[in-house]
Amino acid sequence: MLEVFVFIISGTLAASTPLIYAAMGELVCEKSGMLNLGIEGMMATGAAAGFVLVAITGSHSVGFFGGMICAMGLSLIYAILTVLLNANQVASGLATGILGLGVSSAIGKKYEGTTVTPLADLPLGPLSDIPVLGESIFQLDAMVYLSILLVVAVWYVINRTKLGLLIRAIGEAPEYAHSQGLPVRMVRMCCVAFGGAMAGIGGAYLSTAYTPLWAEGMIAGRGWIVVALTVFGTWVVPRVAFGAYLFGVISLLELSIQAFGVNLPSQILSALPYVITILMLAAISRNVTFIRMNSPASLGQSFSP
Amino acid sequence: MVKFTLEPRKEQSLLAPIVVTSLALLLTMLGGTILFMIYGVPPLKGLRAIFIEPLLSTYGIGEVLLKMAPLLLVAQGLAIGFRAGVWNIGAEGQLILGAIAASAVAIYFDGSTSIFLLPGMILAGMFAGIAWASIAAFLRTTFNANEILVTFMLTSVALQLLYYLVTGPMRDPMGFNFPQSITFGYHAMFPILIEGTRFNASIFMGIFATVGCWLFVKRSLVGYKLSVGGLAPRAAIYAGFSQKGAVWLALLIGGGAAGLAGVGEVSGPLGMLQRNVSPGYGYAAIIVAMLGGLNPIGIIFSSALMALIYVGGDFARLSVQLPNAVTGIFQGMLLTFYLGCSLLLTSRIRLKRSDAVASEGEA
Amino acid sequence: MKLSRLIMLPVLALAMMAGPAAADKLKIGFIYPSPVGDVGWAAELDTGRKAIEAHFGDKVETVFVENVPEGPDAQRIMNQMAATGAKMIMLGSFGYMNDGLRLAQQRPDMTFIHASGYKLADNFGNFQSRNYESSYVVGMAAGYVTKSDTVGIVAAYAIPEVVGMINTFTLGLQRTNPDATVKVVWLNSWFNPSKAQESARSLMAQDADVIYSLYQDTPSVVTVAEEEGVYVINTSSDMKAYAPKMLLASQIADWRSYFIEQVQATIDGNFKGTAFWGGMADDTVDVRSFSSDLTSDQQAELNKVMDSIRSGAFHPLTGPVVDQDGTERLAAGVSIADNDMLGINWLVKGVETRIPQ
Repeated sequence: MLEVFVFIISGTLAASTPLIYAAMGELVCEKSGMLNLGIEGMMATGAAAGFVLVAITGSHSVGFFGGMICAMGLSLIYAILTVLLNANQVASGLATGILGLGVSSAIGKKYEGTTVTPLADLPLGPLSDIPVLGESIFQLDAMVYLSILLVVAVWYVINRTKLGLLIRAIGEAPEYAHSQGLPVRMVRMCCVAFGGAMAGIGGAYLSTAYTPLWAEGMIAGRGWIVVALTVFGTWVVPRVAFGAYLFGVISLLELSIQAFGVNLPSQILSALPYVITILMLAAISRNVTFIRMNSPASLGQSFSP
Repeated sequence: MVKFTLEPRKEQSLLAPIVVTSLALLLTMLGGTILFMIYGVPPLKGLRAIFIEPLLSTYGIGEVLLKMAPLLLVAQGLAIGFRAGVWNIGAEGQLILGAIAASAVAIYFDGSTSIFLLPGMILAGMFAGIAWASIAAFLRTTFNANEILVTFMLTSVALQLLYYLVTGPMRDPMGFNFPQSITFGYHAMFPILIEGTRFNASIFMGIFATVGCWLFVKRSLVGYKLSVGGLAPRAAIYAGFSQKGAVWLALLIGGGAAGLAGVGEVSGPLGMLQRNVSPGYGYAAIIVAMLGGLNPIGIIFSSALMALIYVGGDFARLSVQLPNAVTGIFQGMLLTFYLGCSLLLTSRIRLKRSDAVASEGEA
Repeated sequence: MKLSRLIMLPVLALAMMAGPAAADKLKIGFIYPSPVGDVGWAAELDTGRKAIEAHFGDKVETVFVENVPEGPDAQRIMNQMAATGAKMIMLGSFGYMNDGLRLAQQRPDMTFIHASGYKLADNFGNFQSRNYESSYVVGMAAGYVTKSDTVGIVAAYAIPEVVGMINTFTLGLQRTNPDATVKVVWLNSWFNPSKAQESARSLMAQDADVIYSLYQDTPSVVTVAEEEGVYVINTSSDMKAYAPKMLLASQIADWRSYFIEQVQATIDGNFKGTAFWGGMADDTVDVRSFSSDLTSDQQAELNKVMDSIRSGAFHPLTGPVVDQDGTERLAAGVSIADNDMLGINWLVKGVETRIPQ
């Protein structure tokens, strides 16, 4: 039983890591008013590029960096369409998402079915020797720890720095910000690029650390979960992070539930995360004032100076 | 220094949509050429395989028409919603529900030779799609929950429901535990229209949808209000049309259309209910609706084009050994270029001299 | 006598004309449900394809399409193959059955072989492997090495072929280790490497120290077992390269002779749609890369059992066999009939997970 407990905790931390990266990226992106629905394609591109690079060079750093750059490139296509050419954000996100999925499949084709050495675990010295807790939390790989640092960093920047204020202002009222001389389009493009880069890292984590292989469709809807997570967390950093871990736990429980002797059809468990997200969405969205206080007012709307 | 600015057009040009789509297609072919060169396929041969080859045989044309039917149907339904600013991303899930409902009728009445069997399945499928979409409509109007996310999440739930049903309650008892239903009888299937192809009568649903949507948009007051409501919600409220009503109507129309498409699949090329009911028609229809400029006539052409790319992509896998990613890349490129060029639909590019800008600022 | 000879001559002439012209190449199409990698189900089928090319050289031309999901798209691809001159098609997955049969009925001039199915026609044959034979052997090996007495299985669908394999695996396991039990995770997919890995990990967390990767088309389960230091057995291809330390054994299928035979029959014009069930006896099924961790006594015992299966002396699913509910399914000394094996949908006692209903 204890083994299962350890498995669930460490498994959740690892499984949620790609979600954390991509969700933090999408959160920043949305804070500036941009709704990017193509995260799935960007994660896929990051995963494919990352895997191929690790297979070729043997270096995980190169893999993560390359995955990040490729996904960022894809997100810039989205940025050009929406920020510069004023196209509809929903459609542009979908278009670049589909493009990304196709491109990732093409990149990864030759490497399908092969495998690379997974990212090594980074035991945190004496901490990892603590019984139970040590095994579950302090023996994971570097990217997991970095993701936690990322959450803290994003929280700090958004809420405590001038840059964060700038981003939020642009997300709230882009016309007013523009009239004050603030670089609305530049900031938005940078936020989109950041979102894409983080999605790329999340995807690369999946293919080079979590399950070290590339397969078409391996992102399996996580990109969409990320979009839901920002709403679920009402655009508040700690809540979005919490949502990501919650989601990870539920998806792992699906596999371990047998150990507890519960005999539910596996499909109910697979559907559970989505049902819960929908219910939470309904519960949260009900409070319109609350939503308005936290969601960027101009989210999804085009801005043309 | 010369600066480019965008100036909104005063009136909608008729030529612009055609120019934009053609431009997008041209750019896609250019992108495709680069892709082919990377794969070592002679570009002209590759383009021919995708765009021309399907049209060279009766079977190929039948396949394109077959693929076009669900795309046309769902895109028409979704376009109504998109014009009103209601973003139904869950057409795939609504399609699945329609397929499930129609299959349930076919299984329950297996062996029946009644002429009411197929119409019954059609109605069941349509209402199932409507019911699934109404969940999202309810959550949006009562709880203000974003319909983009709810409809998408519901698709995942619909998939799990499908998997559960074909693994258990709706599974063929003589099927050796494999997750699929019985094969439907002759009377539960749409009749084939062209001998030697798989093209069947489900296209009529798409045709009715097109005519219906055209009338709805161009001629009916409700349709007008729906478009106005999307473009300027305040104005619509002044005109006495409730936003809530618009959301319900838009989602139900989209859901119903998707449900009907689901019936078309199980009573058509599939002939049964199985885990793989749709290769992403619900999402492809979104692209088709956008590419058609959310216009009922435009959608006819964009659905034909998308169907051609689907079928051509499959044929290309055989004839020039292209990987199956090709179809997705072409579709993504087409929409991306279209969106990029669609700026030309609503604005003109104007050159402005920088001193003119400065003097404006001073005055 | 004279009359019958008169009739025979034109009939003979017709028969000679009916066969495919010897000068033309025989175009053969192959459809795989998953990508062809280095290893896996599709890779094994493709090995058969390459063998056909090597054996027949100029007389054949092969084309293949991989990663074809079951459904209307598969139908389109096989129809297109038929339309572009293919005279024989190999359908590499259960789900292509109904579409394939439909095409076979429309095109009596073509021949088809279908993997893992149960329907037949004059020009439509099917083939299966008696993988349950090799499952017994690897089950015994698992019994030798498990210390926790728990073995985890990552399985795709609960189709009879898989269920039969789980059953004989468990029986073999219990032969060498009567206290051992088996836990199963049903993936409900032929190809989901991430979920397969997560399932393997969750089984390990439940004390399994041997993992059986049943029809997972990628080495994902094998690599995670190597990483965690847990023994692993896999089906479809020798995966020693992916788990040099921890691979206990690999069950492989070799379709080359069967494929070549069927192509020859098509060329000769005497193809008959039959159900081929290849086993250890005709080398279709085998076990490779036994781990060197097995002692020489254990290895000898395994070899002995394999020989007795090959000779037909021993059938792995022989009574007394009791199912999960305690009902006796096979009396002592009675082996399961082939027909019952084709439709088996019960699990033996010792398997703790049930077939999903």
